Amino acid sequence: MKQRRSLLLLLALVALVGAAWLAILFVAPPQRTLDQRVYNVASQLKCPVCQNESAADSSASIAEQMRLVIRQQLQQGMSDQQILHYFAVHYGNGILLTPPQQGFNLLAWLMPVAMFLLGLGLVSFVVRDWRAQGRLQPVTPGGQTNDETLADPELANYRAQLEQELAEDDPLFS
Amino acid sequence: MHFSDLGVLSLILALGFAVYTLVAAVLGGARNSSRLVASAKRGTLTVTFFMLLASAALVISFLSHDFGVVYVADQSNSSMPWYFVAAAFYSGQEGSLLYWALMLSVFSAIFIFLSRRTSAALIPYVIATLMGIQIFFTLMLATVSSPFVRFATAPADGAGLNPLLRDPGMLIHPPTLLMGFMSFSLPFAFAVAAMITGRLDSDWLRSIRRWMLAAWTIQTAGLLLGMWWSYHVLGWGGYWAWDPVENSAIFPWLTATAFLHSAMVQERRGMLKVWNLSLVIASFALSIFGTFEVRSGLISSIHSFAYSAIGSYFLIFLCIIIVFSLGLFIFRLPKLRPEQEFDSLISREGSFLLNNFLLVGITFATLWGTLFPLISQAFGHLSETVGAPFYNQVDGPIFAILILAMGVGPLLAWRRTASHTLWHNLLIPAICAAICALILPLVGIRDIAANIGFTVCAFTAGAILYELWRGMRVRHSHGEPYPIALVMLIQRYRRRYGGYIVHLGLILLAVGVIGSHAFQQEHDASLKPGQSVTIGDYKLVFFGNADTTYPDVETIAAQLQVWHNGQLEGDIYPARELYPHFPNEPASQISITTENLTDLYVFLSDWQGAGQASFRIFLNPLVPLIWSGGLMMLFGGIICWWPERRRRRIVQTEYQVSREISSASRQALPTQADHAIDEPAITGPAMATVRADEEARTS
Repeated sequence: MKQRRSLLLLLALVALVGAAWLAILFVAPPQRTLDQRVYNVASQLKCPVCQNESAADSSASIAEQMRLVIRQQLQQGMSDQQILHYFAVHYGNGILLTPPQQGFNLLAWLMPVAMFLLGLGLVSFVVRDWRAQGRLQPVTPGGQTNDETLADPELANYRAQLEQELAEDDPLFS
Repeated sequence: MHFSDLGVLSLILALGFAVYTLVAAVLGGARNSSRLVASAKRGTLTVTFFMLLASAALVISFLSHDFGVVYVADQSNSSMPWYFVAAAFYSGQEGSLLYWALMLSVFSAIFIFLSRRTSAALIPYVIATLMGIQIFFTLMLATVSSPFVRFATAPADGAGLNPLLRDPGMLIHPPTLLMGFMSFSLPFAFAVAAMITGRLDSDWLRSIRRWMLAAWTIQTAGLLLGMWWSYHVLGWGGYWAWDPVENSAIFPWLTATAFLHSAMVQERRGMLKVWNLSLVIASFALSIFGTFEVRSGLISSIHSFAYSAIGSYFLIFLCIIIVFSLGLFIFRLPKLRPEQEFDSLISREGSFLLNNFLLVGITFATLWGTLFPLISQAFGHLSETVGAPFYNQVDGPIFAILILAMGVGPLLAWRRTASHTLWHNLLIPAICAAICALILPLVGIRDIAANIGFTVCAFTAGAILYELWRGMRVRHSHGEPYPIALVMLIQRYRRRYGGYIVHLGLILLAVGVIGSHAFQQEHDASLKPGQSVTIGDYKLVFFGNADTTYPDVETIAAQLQVWHNGQLEGDIYPARELYPHFPNEPASQISITTENLTDLYVFLSDWQGAGQASFRIFLNPLVPLIWSGGLMMLFGGIICWWPERRRRRIVQTEYQVSREISSASRQALPTQADHAIDEPAITGPAMATVRADEEARTS
């Protein structure tokens, strides 16, 4: 009874939150300032003269120029993707901080996903194996390990004894 | 005779004694000869002594400005303040290797002093493994990478420290991180010893867990200091760049975190032995890989000042480690059968399984991204860059699930949890999350990813705080005031509540990361005196640059007046420092003003005389939470690690009770009972199980 109630409550909460989010995001989609958009694009480009720094992070003059170009292009109404494409065409794919999702570079993206699935498969296989073993060997006569079989008085004893000893050991209670 | 000659001599003697100790330990272990083992112990201490002597020789060479030593002349000069001169000890490759080896020998000595608690069969092999590692490093120091090489004719003055390193952070970040890398040697030594002797009992597990916890805490401190340094020195407005070297420092941390969790499953249920051993070995191998990667220049990194040619030796050493441990592993595999079977995925051990899966997933994805440029090159493709956006997109979601699991995990009982109990326990955290999710869009936070992140954090924080509250309520019902109840609770069940504190710290840190990542504002401005720039609620007015020349450094400071919401806040002076010998590498003094958990971060990127300056200005929301969360994690780690006071009586009760419970459930729980004898901390989880069961019945 109680279980079903809390489950329903949870579902209601989730639905409420989802509805609120959707409403807000559709009614007023988030607006980014020009600064934020420049930063966002620049952070996906490599600073060509730096050691592993993005054009957004570097204070080298070329990075500053790149940010200026991005700003102008954004003001001209180009989209983020178009600007990234512009840089990739002029400087080669090496300027992109994320490998483009095509050709050999697709491997960079697919490998983690593949390993994730493989790992998931392995874990589920191992777990099934464990559980199968568990079923094969009956542990003690009476078999079933069900928590419900714990007698109430013993638990009460346990709690009482524990609390009592905790109390005895506590300066507060002595 | 110079002090550097003493250093050379000490290194050779340390190498000799390390070889002797290795042989003595292995023979002592194999022949079961306590005399040989005792000799090996003394040998270890002797190695420590000579490593200390060698390090002292280098420090004295530095402090006495003996520029005849190449390393001293490269890393210091006579005008540097004495503390940077002393810290130059570990600023270059040779010195940092010496520091690594020194710390290893010091930790070996600590192990010897604490070895009473370790089972005698393990000791010789732990010593032997430690000495094996020591031999590699000492050999490198004595041959290809000696810090004591001398010039034929000494220069008059040295070049001085790299300007980036002339920061107070230099005094603590590198030594902590190097010590962190080193400290994974001890769990590894225990793993090797266990595989050789076949003793993977509860004593062993407790020792290895403690050393791993120590390593984890040191590495956490090292990583945090690195982030702090990056934030305060590099001037790019961030703290974590997914730089290959940063990545390599986080690999062993991730696997160690995974181990600390899965070790609990082994402790309680006798499962996951194979997995745990692999995690320990992986942590050590990754820490050697990290040391290797920093040195090799294999992958382009901002830490490029550390490059050298000794990378290949590290690669060989890494291969030896992997082959050796794999061999032992396969040899010992038959003994590593799980003692108990798995009951249900909806259980504490199930959640640890998920936790491990995710942590190793992050490790793998990050490792893959770090190595991908090399792989791409090997296949004849252009060298590609795998930068921050890749890691954010791949690792970000995994971290979110991990934090979610962190909230659910502690609510689950061992073995299995009745689903209605789980729902009952999930209710309060879910309400927290829902409130957070509802309020955030209303107060104008409209980034979907950030909202999801914050909601997940609210859920987990709710779950942990609710757990803390329940514990406090139990003690409060015995008449303790709440603050005292909290302190006593933490003191009594250190491992459990220390863990919660670490988790809470991590959540704070995550909130800081999400906030500063999603809501950072950045503005470049080139100003003349009197001009101003606006960012967020701040307005900055430029007044001009002041150029001051000191004997060892020239400082250019820009003066800016800060207005916040139309109110004058005061002046800030972001500055650059020019050191002789490094005219093209000005160090920076970044001005960081914190208000309402938001950092105003001003970096002087360029200047023209007194009348013009270019700034990079950032508004970084919630960054202060990263530092406080990090401190909290360290604090929690230390609480977990701090030795328990022995409490016999409780312990006996615990033993009896767990016996009663096991007989009641008609299921022998040998590991649980065994541990309860000498591990009072087990009371916490046991109580939680009991409580969960009770609730299951009453509801």
